[in-house]
Amino acid sequence: MIPLNYYLALSAILFSIGVVGVLARRNAIIVFMSIELMLNSVNLTLVAFSAYLGNATGQMFVFFVLTVAAAEAAVGLAIIIALFRNKMTVNIDEINIMKW
Amino acid sequence: MSIDTIVFFILAATSIISAILVITRRSPIISVVYLVFNFIILAIIYLTLHAQFIAVIQVIVYAGAIMVLFLFVVMLLNLGKEEMLTEKITYKKRIAIGLAVVMSVQIIIGITTSFGEHPNQLSPLATQIGTVEHIGKVLFTQYLLPFEIASILLLAAIIGAVVLAKKRIG
Amino acid sequence: MLQQILDSVKIFQPEITLVIVLCAAILIDLIVKNKPQFIASIVMAGLFVAGYFVIQQSGVAVSIFSNMFVVDSFSVFFKVIILLTAIFVVMFSMQSKELNNGKRKLGEYYAFVISMTLGMLLMTGASNLLMMYLSIELTSLSSYILAGYKKETPDSSEASLKYIIYGAVSSGMLLYGISILYGLTGSLNIYDVNQVIQQGGVSLLALIAANLLMIVGFGFKISAVPFHFWTPDVYEGAPITITAFLSVASKAAGFALMIRYFFVGYYDPLASAINGYFTTIGGFDWHIIIAILSVATMTIGNFTAVWQNNLKRLLAYSSIAHAGYMMMGVVVLNNEGISAIMIYFATYLFMNLGAFYIVMLIADKIGSEDIDSYKGLGYKAPFMAVVFAIFLISLTGLPPTAGFIGKLYLFAALINSGWIWLAIVGVLNSVVSLYYYVRIFRNMFLRDIDIEHEPIKFSPSHFIVALLLVIPTLVLGLYFGPLVDFAQASVGILGIK
Repeated sequence: MIPLNYYLALSAILFSIGVVGVLARRNAIIVFMSIELMLNSVNLTLVAFSAYLGNATGQMFVFFVLTVAAAEAAVGLAIIIALFRNKMTVNIDEINIMKW
Repeated sequence: MSIDTIVFFILAATSIISAILVITRRSPIISVVYLVFNFIILAIIYLTLHAQFIAVIQVIVYAGAIMVLFLFVVMLLNLGKEEMLTEKITYKKRIAIGLAVVMSVQIIIGITTSFGEHPNQLSPLATQIGTVEHIGKVLFTQYLLPFEIASILLLAAIIGAVVLAKKRIG
Repeated sequence: MLQQILDSVKIFQPEITLVIVLCAAILIDLIVKNKPQFIASIVMAGLFVAGYFVIQQSGVAVSIFSNMFVVDSFSVFFKVIILLTAIFVVMFSMQSKELNNGKRKLGEYYAFVISMTLGMLLMTGASNLLMMYLSIELTSLSSYILAGYKKETPDSSEASLKYIIYGAVSSGMLLYGISILYGLTGSLNIYDVNQVIQQGGVSLLALIAANLLMIVGFGFKISAVPFHFWTPDVYEGAPITITAFLSVASKAAGFALMIRYFFVGYYDPLASAINGYFTTIGGFDWHIIIAILSVATMTIGNFTAVWQNNLKRLLAYSSIAHAGYMMMGVVVLNNEGISAIMIYFATYLFMNLGAFYIVMLIADKIGSEDIDSYKGLGYKAPFMAVVFAIFLISLTGLPPTAGFIGKLYLFAALINSGWIWLAIVGVLNSVVSLYYYVRIFRNMFLRDIDIEHEPIKFSPSHFIVALLLVIPTLVLGLYFGPLVDFAQASVGILGIK
């Protein structure tokens, strides 16, 4: 049998890859994809806990995370389109005309 | 090593490699394709955990709907030109990536040590809780309120996406 | 189960009202074209009805929808604050030139104001981590859309993109924290989480990791340092009505959620009974973390505000600093601290909305939010300048304004429980804030005195809204008894003695 830890380690690695993607990439679309990776790794943690604890709550949570991820992706991509109309770019560095 | 473990390691390795490819490819289209691949691998992992319903909606919603949306936007913005995609790696970014790696190593070690005493067997209930029947039952009783809130959230997202992506301001 | 759901629906009237108004706003916009003022008045009426239902709920303490949602006096207080803010924001929106430029469709705008309000009401009462996540997302998603509503200007779209990227990452962190907590306790209900942690045997390392990740999510909502980077840009780029809304209501909801999570989740009834005050479950010393975050938040907020020339940005940093002050109340960990935060929010509502309102009016008239363009304003628009000055004095926390009362109770709570160094840091920070507020003051009254001034005209409705905000700011500074009583009576969080 596969220990629970293996699943947790896998999801932690995927989460970290997502975080690195968000920090390192400048293309807004790829940044959003990295965020989807992060959310998916959380789903993996939840499903694994749910199966090992014998408790449906985790899988219910995944259902809602999927819903929210879909909503967030739709709005995020709409914002990218609106911005592209104004500035003709999706590079996050180029759109930082606002100072920090 | 049992067959289960071998299958798990193959799936885990493919999902990690495809995730790394997602964040390192220059062209967003190729990234999308690897991400879809990653999601399908995850769906198979969910199946090994007896979460059939989640595995199916993972493929339908994520690989089907969300990723098609991504592809559609990439096409719409026509980002094929190479010069638009050049990215600089600055020292600030290096520090950020270094910090992220350190943090994630800590999380991995922290979590894997913390859950050492947890059950290392799938719960006998695992085969029952992932079915559509059981999830539907719980969803419309105990989780009724979150379900309704999720529907409002989707309504807001639909209208918001249309409002923002529409060309005219009025 | 059916009976339980039906009973729950009866207590859920304020939220149901808002859902009806949300759908009505969208449908009416389809039928009656280009009548934004009509939709605004319907939305306003809906908010008043919801407010009526909320006030009816005072004194109720129940858990509804299978313990997903809690109605108690604590949530009622914050709901009143949020609904009042929403009513003022709708009033501002009806007058804003930036929004009512004749071409923009505003039906959806008001619908999103309602969905955001609904999300925030749910945040105040969520007692399940799933509900907390969903309500935060409903609020955030609506605010991403509203921040980008002036989509023809690059600033607004940029603000929106920055907001959604920061928001999505921090909600990812929050989720990861929640998933670890779920693995540790096997439940998402914060009361059950509390039970399991009390029994012991939960790995402390994983618990701290989960909570640090969750603090990222909460810190983003209340814009605490170091999760505040989005705040100035979003506040500057978003329509100013939305900036005002975010700076008050979204913060109030974030605080309510954070306080409920920490107080219910880590409440140790046995030790609390022995000590006679609120005690957290052994070994988890999170109030030190909050104290450090609070000091960082107010100091960075105030010192960065000093360098700002755009008033919206200045008020953004000042609102970060105010979040820092309010976090001091969380550090104290007792009812006195919670009631001090509530009093602070009630006063902050009027003074901060007021400051944003005047900035909006002046920007509509002179087309600039720059501090330098406020030179001689005291002679061009004497009434508005004096009102603005009152709001700024109140934001600094000087008597005889409401801001003083807010700070007084906060510092009193700190000193009574021995956090003297934190109180001193807070007072020093208020002194720094005086510097940048006085800069505006000086520009309005002491610059360009000699030249001829063209008076700026305002309509009577502008004066009415300004008075609605300035009168409470002054009255609460002198006659604060009822507010203090209301706040002290409202500290009851369900399940905590």
